[in-house]
Amino acid sequence: MKRQIKTFSTLLIALMMMVTVLAACGSSNSDKEKSTGTDTSTDTKSTDTAADTGGEDKSADAGKPDTSKKVQLVWYLLGDAHKDTPKVVEEWNKMLEKDLNVTVKLNFTTWTDWTTKYNLLLASGEKIDMIFASSWADYYKFANQGAFMPLDDLLPTYAPETWKSVPEQDWKEATVNGKIFAVPATYPEYTPDGIVYREDWRKELNLPEIKDLNSIEAYLDGVKKAKNVTPINGKAYNEIFTMFKSYNNYQQIGGDSGVVVAKSYDTPRDIVAYPFTTEFEQWAHKMKEWKDKGFWKSDTLSDQKEAGDAIKTGQGAVYWRNAPGAGGYIMGLQTSNPDIEMGYFPFSRFNNLTMPTLSVNNAMAIPKSAPNPERSLMVLDKLRNDPKYYDLMNYGLEGTNYSVDTTDSKFIVSPPAGTPKDDKDHTAYGVASWGYRVESMERVKQAGGWPGFDALLEEFKSQSKPNIFAGVLMDYAPVKSQQAAVNSVIQQYGMPIMMGLVPDVDKAIANYRKQLEAAGVNDVMDYIKEQANKYFDSQGIN
Amino acid sequence: MKIKMEKTTIVFNAIGYVIITILAVLCLLPFLLIVSGSFTPEMEIVAQGFKLIPKQFSLDAYSAAFSSPKQILDGYKVTVLITLIGTMLGLFLTSMAGFVLSRKEFKYKDKLAFFIYFTTLFSGGLIPWYIMMVKYLDLKDSYLALLLPGLLSAWNIILMKNFMKSIPESITESAKIDGAGEFTIYLKLILPLSTPGLATIGLFMALGYWNEWFLANLFITTESKFPLQFLLYKILASAAVLKTNVAGNLSPDFQPPAETLKMAAAVIATGPIIFLYPFVQRFFVKGLTIGAVKG
Repeated sequence: MKRQIKTFSTLLIALMMMVTVLAACGSSNSDKEKSTGTDTSTDTKSTDTAADTGGEDKSADAGKPDTSKKVQLVWYLLGDAHKDTPKVVEEWNKMLEKDLNVTVKLNFTTWTDWTTKYNLLLASGEKIDMIFASSWADYYKFANQGAFMPLDDLLPTYAPETWKSVPEQDWKEATVNGKIFAVPATYPEYTPDGIVYREDWRKELNLPEIKDLNSIEAYLDGVKKAKNVTPINGKAYNEIFTMFKSYNNYQQIGGDSGVVVAKSYDTPRDIVAYPFTTEFEQWAHKMKEWKDKGFWKSDTLSDQKEAGDAIKTGQGAVYWRNAPGAGGYIMGLQTSNPDIEMGYFPFSRFNNLTMPTLSVNNAMAIPKSAPNPERSLMVLDKLRNDPKYYDLMNYGLEGTNYSVDTTDSKFIVSPPAGTPKDDKDHTAYGVASWGYRVESMERVKQAGGWPGFDALLEEFKSQSKPNIFAGVLMDYAPVKSQQAAVNSVIQQYGMPIMMGLVPDVDKAIANYRKQLEAAGVNDVMDYIKEQANKYFDSQGIN
Repeated sequence: MKIKMEKTTIVFNAIGYVIITILAVLCLLPFLLIVSGSFTPEMEIVAQGFKLIPKQFSLDAYSAAFSSPKQILDGYKVTVLITLIGTMLGLFLTSMAGFVLSRKEFKYKDKLAFFIYFTTLFSGGLIPWYIMMVKYLDLKDSYLALLLPGLLSAWNIILMKNFMKSIPESITESAKIDGAGEFTIYLKLILPLSTPGLATIGLFMALGYWNEWFLANLFITTESKFPLQFLLYKILASAAVLKTNVAGNLSPDFQPPAETLKMAAAVIATGPIIFLYPFVQRFFVKGLTIGAVKG
């Protein structure tokens, strides 16, 4: 009897487990169904809103959109709030209530587990009227799944100034399946990778000016020998990997972590996995040499230290930064270590090519569950185009967080005039305002006011080509497991090769390739090729 | 009276003390490193790494952490209150559920028990749960969102039920003969007899509430309602973001929190509990062993 019960219960448990597994499969299926379902529902909704705006248009002709009903909006920004944010928002709400008869509750996701949270906010259909959106926060994926509201019909009525002022190309980059789902920030940025390095040491040691790979090597070698410091003292993978990509003019497709690249900008359809190229072999051998010369430490992959911190203490010389980041870093050094002179070498000079970041790199979108999309757009229009609003929500309160520059009233200074220099409690007002930035309204110089930046910007603009790779739509759904396997192979086998940490390079590469194939790199590549070709076809790129 | 110790005992004790001392030092070292790290100037850590005794002494990290002391005090207030209320209320509810399920007189107890166990095998998952909490229960940005989910867990109910089952039935029977109602039996007899079980589950719950940050992450949007653990986690998360690809898109002013600040935050968060622990500990030990001795 007892045994019977036991076997019965084991059976029951087994059954339950099976049901759970099946239920899991089922749920993913139903998810898909659901997402397609929501797709159609947004479609109907868009026609609905179109009809609505059709009705509103008449009243708009008569005057301004109806704001007689007072509403409270909920906005979400990515990142942390500043400690003065409650005061700033209070002030903002006073202005909004007077001008548009709305108040906004401004929420922040914080950076804790933000991807989960961001997904939840959009998936749950919570009542949110506007949220930060970005290509690096899966804007294309969410737009494709119907998480955002199409704005084509609303924009001309409720955000007329923005509708006129945002360039055509920017709208085009925000378009998914023929509809605009977000208002991109009007803030063209170039963020090519590069390295900052100790220019004063270069001059002192009479090393050649850095302009190509050989001069970088000469510089690293010279610093290592004469100063006896490890040039890249900390995590060095970013430095080397971005250099590898830029040097070979490889354009990565489908996320920064993968192995799939287009072989050059001019041949976007020539898509390969870079570990299988001869360029990678040559590079790996070179990096082995560099490693043996001691340009970085052998624990560089597990090191948690930033190479930039070592420069501050005189124990390092080179640090990977993108161009605006380099400016911020160099300006920071000028206050903390004024005796150090830094130079910057953008890797874009290897091939004289820069691509601007996508306009939707920073944008504001409206989730499809928003109760008051019209009002949200009106607030955004005000925010982007009225200097009073713009300054408040980007720079905080005048007097507390900043004051107008006495030499040039277009710019502001922070901390405000009159604050003692050594006041450590003051932190510049900064929240995730990137989603509604407008270049012409900015009152802070890019790159932290680094004087060298203007010249660089000119250089980037002159060699700029449109970014044709970032818009390739991918969610990896059909090759999810292969992608995960490939990523772990990269971590385990690829990164040590990249850093020259293997005893026998050729053997390691052969093994790496074998492992990649076993992990299913070809499936991933086929998927990316298919998606990329689809995108290139639709954009007319060959 | 002094008992003369055997030589082997002395040797054994000596070895024992040495080993335990080493173990204790090993356990204490990380804490010491955190404390000394929080008092070290930032640049010294960057240049030479963490050291047990810093060359220079600096209070910068603490003055930065306490530049807005209100935030930390608020965090303490929220965490302490949630832990106290949650543990009390949770113990009350769990023990009542356990009591009911342990009584033979209750006709549907098997069915009810199955209903409760069932939830340990199947759950709706994160998104449906989130939707229920936010859309239907309207708990966004409410203290209840921190309190309610931890109140009752199927696992604790099972534990409690099994514990109460071990109390001899004759006790409840005798009380019944004397005319006690069910609630009196529960309150006057079963609860005092289940102190070991209550202590165990209470400890689980209190730790759970004290360490909870995920709920706050999902549901709380007002800064003054953040519990302490979430405040700390937020500092670390901002630092972690800087190490990912997202960092390239952030404004260059976005400064990572200093190493020392992280250490100071850890000291501020754990310090009071460490001081509190020796005083509370004896209750736990006493409570946990009562049942064990009786068998």
